[in-house]
Amino acid sequence: MTPDEQRFLLVGAGLFVLGAIGFLTRRNLILMVLSAELMLHGVSLTLVTFGNMHQTNEGQAFTIFTLTVAACEAGLALSLVLSLYRKSHSLDIQLWSELRESDMSGPDFDSSAERGKLSSYDDIPTLTPAGIAPKDPPRTTPSTGPTATRV
Amino acid sequence: MMTWTQEHPMTIVGLVLWAVGILWLMPGRRASKPRPHKIGVLIVALGLVTFCLSCGKTQSELADDVMFWVFAIGALMSGVLMITARNPVYAALWFALATLSTCGLFLLQHAPFLAAATIIVYAGAVIVTFLFVIMLAQQSGAAGYDQRSSQSLLATISAFVLLGAISLTLQSEKIDIVRPVVVAADSSADSAPIAGNMSLTFNLSPEPPVIVPVMPGNVMSKAKGKTPVGNLKGLGKSLFGDYLFAVELAGTLLLVASIGAIAIAPRREQGAI
Repeated sequence: MTPDEQRFLLVGAGLFVLGAIGFLTRRNLILMVLSAELMLHGVSLTLVTFGNMHQTNEGQAFTIFTLTVAACEAGLALSLVLSLYRKSHSLDIQLWSELRESDMSGPDFDSSAERGKLSSYDDIPTLTPAGIAPKDPPRTTPSTGPTATRV
Repeated sequence: MMTWTQEHPMTIVGLVLWAVGILWLMPGRRASKPRPHKIGVLIVALGLVTFCLSCGKTQSELADDVMFWVFAIGALMSGVLMITARNPVYAALWFALATLSTCGLFLLQHAPFLAAATIIVYAGAVIVTFLFVIMLAQQSGAAGYDQRSSQSLLATISAFVLLGAISLTLQSEKIDIVRPVVVAADSSADSAPIAGNMSLTFNLSPEPPVIVPVMPGNVMSKAKGKTPVGNLKGLGKSLFGDYLFAVELAGTLLLVASIGAIAIAPRREQGAI
């Protein structure tokens, strides 16, 4: 490996790591997707360098497939972000930490004002705790329930 | 003398900048208003860097070096500014700059088609879509979650430990690469093959070097006869020859992803965004 190839690989690794930092730290949903795209740039640069190193076309061919998958990912991620935004009216990722299992501790919220913003939405799915059998939900008797009078 | 000045213009530029900076910093003959100090220091530093970088290098090597450093520093700095931007619109624009710099690095690696395709896909489609979504979703100015990051210390430390490990592996191990033998495109069979040189000059000539198939290993990545490397012809032969099924699969993936994006995106009847 010549130093010329080494420095290209190092730039690719640097781009990947920067994208990883952005993905882990930023709380904006769109910025997280953008950081994932930056990681893909690093991978593409590494692939092209490998292909150039071995004098084959495979590196560039793989990068084209990476490009295809990145385009698919961007489209799907943006539509997911839009549907999440419709539910919470915010792009904050930490509002969705309520989707965790109920016996796990959540992330530390910076401000308690943003907490509980989602509690008014009842259609968010909740996970049953793993390992422990959930209790039976309390049942209303069918004679007193409102459904009995309708039938 | 004349050939030296023609071959090393950057050295002369460095020397001139160095001298101009010293003259700038020198106290003047008359007791006039002193010149700003920082500009002189900047000029001296620029001259010194130019002189030191251009020592003992010819012009083409220097051009490759300069282009590499411009694109590499551009990509990495844009990445840093992107992940630290408070405003997501600025983050998207810094990402566009990082994409352009990466495309420059692709060009230096003999991948002009890939550079063009990446610019078209990212700058033309992805960035515009991201900006549309940002402007749809953030009409009320700066949001609180953009001003604060979560677990930034842990994430930065672990990511840079990873980068250090990668650098250590890349720079300490002697990795032997079985290099193929490159001969000139129009050479006859009896001419002596030249060992594969990996110079970073642009190779856009109509007669690219062809590869004599000596590579062991993967059947697909074996160089096949007179397949040129790095230009559109070789890439097309590889894509539509070896990887034809993968190309069809990628097309199917795009179709499925577009259908899924349409299905997932919220309808207008269910409420405006």
